[in-house]
Amino acid sequence: MHYEIRYKPAFSSLVLTLRPGERILAEAGAMASRSAALNQTTQLFGGLIPALLKHWFGGESLFVNQFVNPSQSPQDLVLTQSTLGDMQVLHLEGNAICLQPGAYIAHTSGVSVDLDWAGFSSWFSGEGLFKLKLSGKGLVFFGAYGGISTVAIRDEFVVDTGHLVAYEPSISMKIGLAGGLLGSMKSGEGFINRLSGRGTIYLQSRSVDGLARFLKPKLR
Amino acid sequence: MNIDILHQPDSAIAKLDLAPGESITAEAGAMVAMSGSMQVDTTLRQGGGGLMGGLKRMMTGESLFLSVFQASDRPAELFLAPKLMGDICVYPLQGNTLVVQSTGYLANTAGVNIDIGFPGLKTFFSGESLFWLSISGSGTVLLSSFGGIYDVDVDGEYIVDTGHIVAFEKTLDFSVTKAGAGWIGSILGGEGLVCRFRGRGKVYCQTHNPGAFGHLIGPRLPAR
Repeated sequence: MHYEIRYKPAFSSLVLTLRPGERILAEAGAMASRSAALNQTTQLFGGLIPALLKHWFGGESLFVNQFVNPSQSPQDLVLTQSTLGDMQVLHLEGNAICLQPGAYIAHTSGVSVDLDWAGFSSWFSGEGLFKLKLSGKGLVFFGAYGGISTVAIRDEFVVDTGHLVAYEPSISMKIGLAGGLLGSMKSGEGFINRLSGRGTIYLQSRSVDGLARFLKPKLR
Repeated sequence: MNIDILHQPDSAIAKLDLAPGESITAEAGAMVAMSGSMQVDTTLRQGGGGLMGGLKRMMTGESLFLSVFQASDRPAELFLAPKLMGDICVYPLQGNTLVVQSTGYLANTAGVNIDIGFPGLKTFFSGESLFWLSISGSGTVLLSSFGGIYDVDVDGEYIVDTGHIVAFEKTLDFSVTKAGAGWIGSILGGEGLVCRFRGRGKVYCQTHNPGAFGHLIGPRLPAR
């Protein structure tokens, strides 16, 4: 499968060429355009119960679309995300990656999608009760609102909620307040993610909630 | 007329140099800056279809306020920009017809005619105030996109999500259809309706879907 992320970083879009027989799964609504020869089918995101859990508690779509090339020649597919921002591709070689709600865009066959318990504190901070864990061998594409920064962490690292996009499963996450109850309310930082462990995390430079908070007082 | 597109692709703005007497028509509100000597006029363009057709279009919001800019007896400058972050594309019209999604229209030079409404492409957008312009004649059309703009040379069949269409050449045959094999799957799959183009011609697509971005931000804002 040939892929290219074009229009980086603000309008990142995934331009794919599927060879005969190749397939990819993508978030519902991610398709911008495609060759008519590709076969598109909709399926539940990992079975009924996991799909419902992902939808209700993980902030993900209930469905994914599968694109298969049944023809004898290469076919094109363009995938995108709702937000403006960057995209990242990971080549999984038996390792895994956890995605925060809304980050998932697509994955190739060979990658399996599981739902891991994220905890009630994650739920309260608006980060979902479950997290998506993608593992296996293949490609995983995810996106962000704003630019994506890759940070290698060694022990403790603090990230504002709404800015974490993805992290390796070796990292554990605890939701906390930025600086005591009163301090957090005053500083406007609210909840934070307290990460610990060794591995790579991916941050987005903007947050959708931040945009909503900016717009709210301006509506009338 | 000299047209430069600056700050591509994320913050594109069109800089136009008008010779004395030259004019350009643009979507109302697109003007960012202009020479003080420029003469400006506003018109309301509505679709045809007789009186009833016109009334119906007014009710459904299918009307377009246009600003007409004309340079007086000396050269004048004009800066035009769309509202959303995105790109601008210059399309040379040579006697053919281009069908443009209403939010994809930015401006056109003299010699170009705009008709509102395009049969067969009217009512399939639920809840979105989108409509189509049929643009014909000879001249230049400026298109704007939410996100980047890419063109596809269709030769055969090609499918575009309706929210990602900026414009397409009328030489293409099209039908509005479901995205996947079944209706239920297509609706649940979030793609809803797509345009299936057939034949030969160019389709201009935008990398991002304004409706999808709106649905992402909208629920986080208080109800009006």
